[in-house]
Amino acid sequence: MKWAYLGVPVVAAVPLLLTPGQLTTFVLLGLSAMTVVGLSLLMGYAGQVSLGQASFTAIGAYTSGLLALHHTPPLLALAAAPIAAGLAAVVVGVPILRLRGHQLAFATLALQLILLSVLGDADWAGGAVGLQGLPYLSIGGFELDDDMDYAYVVLVGVLLVSLIAYHLVHSRVGRGLRALATGEAAAEASGVPVGAYRLLVFAVSAAFAGLAGGIYSFFLGYLAPGSFPVLLSIEYVVMAVVGGLGSVGGALLGAALVTVVVQLLTTLATQPGMPSYAPSVLSYAVYALLLIAVVLFVPRGIVPSLRKSP
Amino acid sequence: MPDLLTVTGATRRFGGVYALRDVDLDVRAGETHAVIGPNGAGKSTLFKLIGGQLIATAGTIGYDGRRIDRLAPHRRARRGIAIAFQDSPVFHNLSVTENVMVGAHAVTRAGPVAAILRLPRHRRDEVTIRALAADALARTGLTEWADRPAAALPLGQQRALQVARALCGGPRLLLLDEPASGLRGPERTALATLIEQLRADGLSILLVEHDVAFVARLADRVTVLDLGRVIAHGTFAEIREDPAVITAYLGGPR
Repeated sequence: MKWAYLGVPVVAAVPLLLTPGQLTTFVLLGLSAMTVVGLSLLMGYAGQVSLGQASFTAIGAYTSGLLALHHTPPLLALAAAPIAAGLAAVVVGVPILRLRGHQLAFATLALQLILLSVLGDADWAGGAVGLQGLPYLSIGGFELDDDMDYAYVVLVGVLLVSLIAYHLVHSRVGRGLRALATGEAAAEASGVPVGAYRLLVFAVSAAFAGLAGGIYSFFLGYLAPGSFPVLLSIEYVVMAVVGGLGSVGGALLGAALVTVVVQLLTTLATQPGMPSYAPSVLSYAVYALLLIAVVLFVPRGIVPSLRKSP
Repeated sequence: MPDLLTVTGATRRFGGVYALRDVDLDVRAGETHAVIGPNGAGKSTLFKLIGGQLIATAGTIGYDGRRIDRLAPHRRARRGIAIAFQDSPVFHNLSVTENVMVGAHAVTRAGPVAAILRLPRHRRDEVTIRALAADALARTGLTEWADRPAAALPLGQQRALQVARALCGGPRLLLLDEPASGLRGPERTALATLIEQLRADGLSILLVEHDVAFVARLADRVTVLDLGRVIAHGTFAEIREDPAVITAYLGGPR
């Protein structure tokens, strides 16, 4: 972990070197990374797959967006995003976490479809058009109005969720989580409240996604249900698996790798002469190929495979 | 000596089949009590009822003067009941020390907020947990293995590790599920010596075991199960002469 601190100034210098277009990608990458750190905890430690993690991003984004439009100070609106997403996870998590394996994956997927359809029909959320004209984030009277500002907001966000995840994993609670990932009955018999810990990880992962969603709403300035498709949830799962589950470094690497590869292919697919369906075909195909390649060749994900086993 | 654990009329039905029927059992403070019986006698079911992994269809389980039969397993652990399972191995993704530290869950409380904010409570608990783990490792003779990955231990040490994890929660009652199964001679002797040492330290032990010689050496009292019912109980010398036990073990008309 100590060496990881050395990476912070290096990464902090990156936005200064990017073109405006790349800066947007950088911000979106960072937002994905925040969500994937949480998802990786959930999948690695609670042994649960969520195919609806983007619904918590959406909940965070809409919470911030709606509050900001109703004249809540932006910073407060942003702080409400992870709280709302975390609470939503607790509410849906109690029944959902009784489900096992694939059932949970489908339940979370269903959750997202329901949420998208509700948001699409809700007048208070702007319906299919969504929310527009959101204010910029401002901190102490200083308005964050360009991409460079958000690059650093996102960096702080990534650092924050990484630190929270690391502290959580390396603690009494974290040992309990790692134990229940391999031997649920033995963990419970050792005094680990398995159900409560699962719910905790689900809520924490949702809160991370919610915080990312909150930043996203201020960054783009508009929100629509279409900003949070199911494909986004799948993308998060692929990022987590590629990087390696239960590893903060893996989550960050997975998010970076998938974002860059998809970006390159999108650029390729939008070249003149490519058919109109090329971008979507290429992105779906890339997720599938990445997932298959990782499962075949580095089943534990990239970062855990680089380390020796514990 | 007072009873620490009292099982009364414990019954567990799976569909129409009784795995356990009207079983009474008590473990006195400080004794080593063995449950033996042929395959399918209901030993594991009884064990899981006490640990909370299964809920009884009928009957009560009292521990330290209070009923525990509706408590979740982790709450029973907090009351001082620790279990070493036969069929669930060590936490193979953790080091030996970390495995043992998980056992301290039962006696510590620092939660997620303390962990995330690195509050004093987290630091205090970590110090306590490390000390408890070091002590449990020393008692089980695992100190030299402390930093190894748990998956790398030989089977005998893995069993000792399960006992160490159970001890780390400072239990009063230790449940051991077939601890000797699959062990070779010297490992078996080492484990028996460890269990005798724990008994001498005042721990109450409930031992579910297949190996009769192992039971003969360790148990103060023995309860014999067959087809889900208690067919005999007493000292090992007493049950050894019991005709019902001889029939159950050697076969014959029932």
